[in-house]
Amino acid sequence: MVMPEGLIKMLFTFVLLTAALIITRRDMLGIITTYAAQSLLISAVAGILYISGGSEMLLTIALLTLFSKVMLIPAIMKGIQRQIKIKRDVEFSYLSPTTALAASMVMLLAVYALLSGVLEEFALSRIFIFGAVAGISLMLMGMLVIFSRRQTITAIVGYLTMENGVVLMSLFLTELPLIIEVLVVVDLIGIMLLAAILSFGISSDMEEFHQKLVRPFSAGNNRRGSR
Amino acid sequence: MSWEFAVYGAVNVAFVALVSPLFMGVIRKIKALVQGRRGPPLLQGYYNLAKLMKKETVFSSNSSVIMEIAPYISISALFVAALLVPVIMIPEPAYGMGGIILFLYMLALAKFFTALAGLDAGSTFGGMGSSREMTISAIIEPIIVVVFAALAFALNTTNIYAMFAATAGLGVLSANVSLLPLVIALFIILITETSRVPVDNPETHLELTMVHEAMILEQGGRNLALMEVSHAVKQTLLMAFLINIFFPWGISQWPAGGWSHAAAGALAFLAKGVILAAVVGLFESSMAKMRLFRLPTLFMAAFFLSALTIVMQVFA
Repeated sequence: MVMPEGLIKMLFTFVLLTAALIITRRDMLGIITTYAAQSLLISAVAGILYISGGSEMLLTIALLTLFSKVMLIPAIMKGIQRQIKIKRDVEFSYLSPTTALAASMVMLLAVYALLSGVLEEFALSRIFIFGAVAGISLMLMGMLVIFSRRQTITAIVGYLTMENGVVLMSLFLTELPLIIEVLVVVDLIGIMLLAAILSFGISSDMEEFHQKLVRPFSAGNNRRGSR
Repeated sequence: MSWEFAVYGAVNVAFVALVSPLFMGVIRKIKALVQGRRGPPLLQGYYNLAKLMKKETVFSSNSSVIMEIAPYISISALFVAALLVPVIMIPEPAYGMGGIILFLYMLALAKFFTALAGLDAGSTFGGMGSSREMTISAIIEPIIVVVFAALAFALNTTNIYAMFAATAGLGVLSANVSLLPLVIALFIILITETSRVPVDNPETHLELTMVHEAMILEQGGRNLALMEVSHAVKQTLLMAFLINIFFPWGISQWPAGGWSHAAAGALAFLAKGVILAAVVGLFESSMAKMRLFRLPTLFMAAFFLSALTIVMQVFA
């Protein structure tokens, strides 16, 4: 079956749009719902690639994404959000949402310029090249979320967006075994971060979190100093 | 000039001028209903204009000739812009008409003279409104250019008649699905350029918040009526872009379609315009006014969406 390129282009556009929304939105519930919508779009891309004659691995990815990232993870995050009672994340550090959006567009163009030359050697069609470009751009936009947001729970959504970017890229460049490794590493970072936050208190922002991490040592130093 | 084009011009401009106050009335009515009020009648806009036309025009003793001519220049510029945007029938591109760049310049010209009239009376409110309007314009105008450039890029033409002809009769979001982000971008421009919540609040006369209303505060009588009509016509023209590119049912070629198709096109535009005006009213009611320093984020969203459309068209 011929791949419906128009539909896939539209899904790419909406995936990048959801990333832009995650960068700019301030209500926690909205950010989590946008992440779920983004995952649903990526699941749809995988499903369309499978229907267009792809391997069964694509169907597995589509179903796995649908179950884990559209249903399970957003449900857990909404539960956490209810527990910690943080409804809005209004503080930004380093980058304002306006600058972050402009930076995202520059990154998209830069990634395309860098990658198109390399990937043309693989004789891939333009839609596959752009799929990879969209995936990497999504990863970078996730990274922007991580360092521009102060609330830890929003930073987690940033990590998850990065992971979605890796999945999107792997859908179009499945030959790269490195992708799997990156996927696992990003997942591990996310899990580690979650575990650490759950230990130290999820209702803190990053600065408080770092202070909590450092406090035992600095308290020890102070005690030694006072003796 | 051929008689067909002359007929198109006269009918198009007259229709735009006629329906514009109705769309304003629909927005006001919807907002009132959402607030639990009965609101003014749908035709209140027409009654207000008729009343203002009969009133004497009073000018401040500090004002110059600018104050007197600004409403006429504004309405003239917007009527020329109305010639460039077909709403019920699409003529063949002729006489250099239909250029999107000319359309944007006409909007800018009307805005410039409105701001100048705001400053002219020398009142603090007018100056403040003009200053705010120009500040917002300085940010939004490059973005408007990018949004319309994306539209021109996607439809392979800078001629508005050719754009509408390309999408006419093909159904919802007809030409290209990657144009979808432009719906949101054009909606943001519609909201911004017509001074609506969250950018401005057309209902208020509070000095802390008003932008457009402050600029026309010194106007009265016939001149105020012309300013009000200019504002309503501008809104209808921007709505026409959303309607005729993304939901182009009903619009037909002129003169091939004939009068029956033109009448059907007028009814279809009226219906779609009322629905879009209701959507604008609901959107306004669901939002709070944004702080001035948060507005660039909203504008940047429109830029992001249009730039994304261009990138998709070029690369994917």
